[in-house]
Amino acid sequence: MLKFKLAVAAIIAAAALAAPTVGYAQATPPTTGEIKPASLADVPRNQTLVVGWGVSGGEPIGDTNPWALPGYTHQAGNVLMWEPLMYFAIFKNEYIPWLADSMDYNADFTSLTIKLNKDAAWSDGTPVTSADVAYTFEQQLANDKLPYHANFVQFMDSVTTPDPLTAIVKFKTPAPRFKFEVLSLKFDTGIPIVQKAWESKQKDYTAVAGGTEIPHSGPYNIVAWNNVQKIYDLRPDWWAIKAGRHAVPAVKRVIVVNTLDQTVDTVAQRLVTNEFDSSTDMRAQIIGNILDQNKDVSSWTGNESPYGYLDWWPNSLWMNTQLAPYNDPNIRKAMSLAIDRDKINEVLYDGAKIASIYPFPLYPNLQKFADSPEVKAEEAKYNPGEFNLDKSAALMTAAGYAKNGDGLWAKDGKTINAVIQAFPSIHGDIAPILAEMLHTAGFDSDVNFGTDAYQNMADGKPGLYLFGHGASLFDPFEALNLFHGKYSAQIGTTAGNSRFSRYKNAEFDALLDDASPRASDDPKFQSDLAQALGIYWRDTIDIPVIQWLHRIPYNNHYWKNWPSSTNLADGTNGAFWAQTGMLVMTGLQPSGAQ
Amino acid sequence: MRPRLLIKRLLFLVLVIWAASTIVFFIPRLSSRNALRERFAELARTGGFSSTDMEKIIASMQKQFGLDQPLLQQYWQYLNNLVHLDFGVSLYKYPATVTELIAQALPWSISLLLVTTILSFVIGNLLGAIAAWPRSPRWMRGIATPFVLLTGVPPVIMGVLLLFFIGFRLKLLPLGGSYSVGLIPDWSWPFFLDLMAHQILPALALIFGSVGGWVLSMRGMGITIQGEDYVNFAEHKGLTPGRIFRDYYLRNTLLPQVTGLALALGTVVTSAIIVEGLFALPGIGSLINVAIRANDFPTIYGIVIFITIAVAVLMAILEFVYPLIDPRVKNE
Repeated sequence: MLKFKLAVAAIIAAAALAAPTVGYAQATPPTTGEIKPASLADVPRNQTLVVGWGVSGGEPIGDTNPWALPGYTHQAGNVLMWEPLMYFAIFKNEYIPWLADSMDYNADFTSLTIKLNKDAAWSDGTPVTSADVAYTFEQQLANDKLPYHANFVQFMDSVTTPDPLTAIVKFKTPAPRFKFEVLSLKFDTGIPIVQKAWESKQKDYTAVAGGTEIPHSGPYNIVAWNNVQKIYDLRPDWWAIKAGRHAVPAVKRVIVVNTLDQTVDTVAQRLVTNEFDSSTDMRAQIIGNILDQNKDVSSWTGNESPYGYLDWWPNSLWMNTQLAPYNDPNIRKAMSLAIDRDKINEVLYDGAKIASIYPFPLYPNLQKFADSPEVKAEEAKYNPGEFNLDKSAALMTAAGYAKNGDGLWAKDGKTINAVIQAFPSIHGDIAPILAEMLHTAGFDSDVNFGTDAYQNMADGKPGLYLFGHGASLFDPFEALNLFHGKYSAQIGTTAGNSRFSRYKNAEFDALLDDASPRASDDPKFQSDLAQALGIYWRDTIDIPVIQWLHRIPYNNHYWKNWPSSTNLADGTNGAFWAQTGMLVMTGLQPSGAQ
Repeated sequence: MRPRLLIKRLLFLVLVIWAASTIVFFIPRLSSRNALRERFAELARTGGFSSTDMEKIIASMQKQFGLDQPLLQQYWQYLNNLVHLDFGVSLYKYPATVTELIAQALPWSISLLLVTTILSFVIGNLLGAIAAWPRSPRWMRGIATPFVLLTGVPPVIMGVLLLFFIGFRLKLLPLGGSYSVGLIPDWSWPFFLDLMAHQILPALALIFGSVGGWVLSMRGMGITIQGEDYVNFAEHKGLTPGRIFRDYYLRNTLLPQVTGLALALGTVVTSAIIVEGLFALPGIGSLINVAIRANDFPTIYGIVIFITIAVAVLMAILEFVYPLIDPRVKNE
């Protein structure tokens, strides 16, 4: 009996002790990577910005080194530590000089002279010099594991540093877009400058997390980081204040809370209760509900639909254009004719015109391009946004298809596989609608939200791929360059990201090759790309469906001056996680709430 | 216990771990998915990475991680690493090692899952025994019924309901996270209380869903032994009802339940995958969820093997401890 009692007592005692003991294990000496301060300054809530983040389940703890890939991401707060030569304000269509005062091309775009700000400095007090810039560029060129290696290999010949504040880049070929695409931070692209002294000391800088030790030029230090949260504190010696680039930020502390796989409804509730000041973007219905329940919360478009701003990732229905029957442009066109874009706007966006016919987002400069007479002429010729089931049927009949007993187009007893590969977290609303439209038009359509969706796209499996373009922001070159024949992977090989169409057309390639060395405002560049866009529509290389919206909830309870369509602030997009997120967060002003 | 039996049990333990590690090695490899490609595609999709020539970078990383080697060679290397308890680096959260990731996640899972499983066991068995005990007042017997009904509600639904009503509407408890935003873990009472407040809702979501099972099985066992001679004998001997309940009734019905407890500890991780995610608790469940979605097989290997070892060891311990509870069972 005694033994029995002892055993039961032991189990109960273990239960009683386990929670506090093992829960407290977090307070024991940290494992590698974890950042745990001995003490933390007391910063009141009304000087603290709290944002929810859980997109990918969290990055490796302590990874603040932009070169430690594939774990590093700038998106969960590290933008507060790293700065570029320049930012680009997409909604104001202008550069924001940052570490660099200027970046000037020579006349034929074969050289770029970079002048650094004399006050730019690292967090360890040493100045940011042209040696850091040159080192950043040279390592990108030399190391095939670094994120912009291919761009440097393609364009950069050498970089020289005539003085500590000047770096001169020589290009192999004219590179008029290098300054924008690679050297400027906007949305989620571009490179920050890293410190030569620290990175060059590492045995393998792609395998070093960085932690609190890595010198950085941004305004905040990482002071705490575990798998629950990251805490960044403002450092008063930020060079940009002395240099007059920026006023002292009102946000003294930023806390990025790891929401892991919490449902979007619970994240919404944490916004409604003012626990969070912002979070990742949400579907229209959810953000509408948040705005209804907490009048302090707003969006890019205030309280009105569609709540979001244009992201850089317009989505299309892609397909492997080398694979029958998608290798027939008429089949692709017939599918395009089955998409009712007005209905999409009505059902998903309360009538706002979000459905698209372009593979690029309509930012100011791209809107100007889309409105040009040459593009309008191509659009009139090919009418890419047309919804016409009769025309679709005629094209299918001409291609030798007939409807079977299920009302589906079939040839030799086989229907066309129009299963849409998509991602449930971001395509949960649009993908079923597209599948239904295609099915109504007679295509054997369905949706695959499985974890194999991306691999199916890369492998070029039969079916349709709902995916974005993530390329052009300023001019249409990069978006159309996704379809250049040099990137056309053969069947049986893996297609690169956003190169799923495997399209090849010498006429199209020639236009792009001619445009490549030209500046965006060169009339020939405009003409070449208008014709290329015409071919994109003529051949239905993919089926453009929607512009992509970022619908981000902004809570004004503690903080105001969030960017919006009526308050462009610095003119960047409004995501705190984007490469320009530092400007969003440091631009906030206290609302006065205690 | 005889040394021969101990050796036999330990050998069996090693065999179980080898079998589990072999199965778990090959299953993720049956998929055509490439973890590095998906990670880089995600980086390219979300920025921070130029998609130009991505395949070249992926090939370089494959070589670095030894993934360009033949599968059997990788398997041999994997077993070799396993013997040294080296699970390698995460493909998704590189440069973090799998051991680091498990160490970071484990405390949260143990604190929630072990406690809730044992509390469910204690509460469920007590309620089940009371429900079956003929001398219990009617109201006490009725208490068990709601828990039996709640058994049909999955923990995830229960979690959503608790979050909405208790966390959001009534604002009585936090809406998620392991502790309040901005706190730094320390050994103070305020932090301990904050930690506990954040554990209550996820614990309830798990307990409500599992107590009913224990109640049902215990009640069944209780009813079965009601006519047993030793119970009748104890009553006629004039023992107090409390003593009969505790020493003759509860003890005998509890024996099969202890075996059930060991089995429950083995399956508890499946509940964790959903509940931890729902409440933003960064435990093993959340970690393996991310690893599976990303096909981060080193992390999957590490977690599954860790769980296998933990459960196998627990089962072995239970086997050794069982004779203490039931003297009729001998380890021979």
